[in-house]
Amino acid sequence: MKRPPMLMHMRVQGEKSGFGLWLPLFLLLPLALVVFIILSPLILVAAIVLWPSGWGKRALLSLRAAVEIFWSMRGLSVDIHSGRQRVSISVV
Amino acid sequence: MSDNKKKILEMLAQGKISADDAYRLLSALEGGEGRREATGRTETAVKGKAKYLRVTVLPDPEKEQSGNYDRVNIRVPMSLVRAGIKLTSLIPSEARDKVNLALHEKGIDFDARNMKPEEIEELIGALGDLEVDVETKTGEKVKVYVE
Repeated sequence: MKRPPMLMHMRVQGEKSGFGLWLPLFLLLPLALVVFIILSPLILVAAIVLWPSGWGKRALLSLRAAVEIFWSMRGLSVDIHSGRQRVSISVV
Repeated sequence: MSDNKKKILEMLAQGKISADDAYRLLSALEGGEGRREATGRTETAVKGKAKYLRVTVLPDPEKEQSGNYDRVNIRVPMSLVRAGIKLTSLIPSEARDKVNLALHEKGIDFDARNMKPEEIEELIGALGDLEVDVETKTGEKVKVYVE
């Protein structure tokens, strides 16, 4: 089973200054779950209303795809240097 | 027959490896003596599924010393690529028609609607052989590969 990403590290380095940021994604997961549970009746109603037009199914599938993409982000790493500037993002 | 053995025979049939390589790999699979002689590349192809798509841009060494250079190092998990390809099924038909038209104008006849899940897997599998290696006029080396 795939494990979800736990941390995201962002680092931006300018010519004179820079900053680094650790985002604890594992803390966001329970929060997102709570928000989803609270909003689920609304999502369900919206999906039922939009179902005849085809957008309801698409919206539900998009939600699933968004979760799948988030789950697949573990291991993503982007590191870009340009002159003395540097942007680096990694998901672990 | 195991999946690995099938893969080796398919690679042999496609001419990607020689009969000797195939024999060594099959021997290695069966725990025979051929294990040590198998080449690194074919071993990797049989052993492992591709995990990451890598894109790197390396600067010209002379420019690197001067400090004025661009360097890119991107690693994308294949599972993310797979999820991205699956997203194409969610593109509204109006937008998809426009994409297909734009691709057709570029001489690419490809319709994402016709892609089945097993074909996506096949596409991801085929990416394992991808290797793009470009050296620009300015001395930068661009590499796209799967590891």
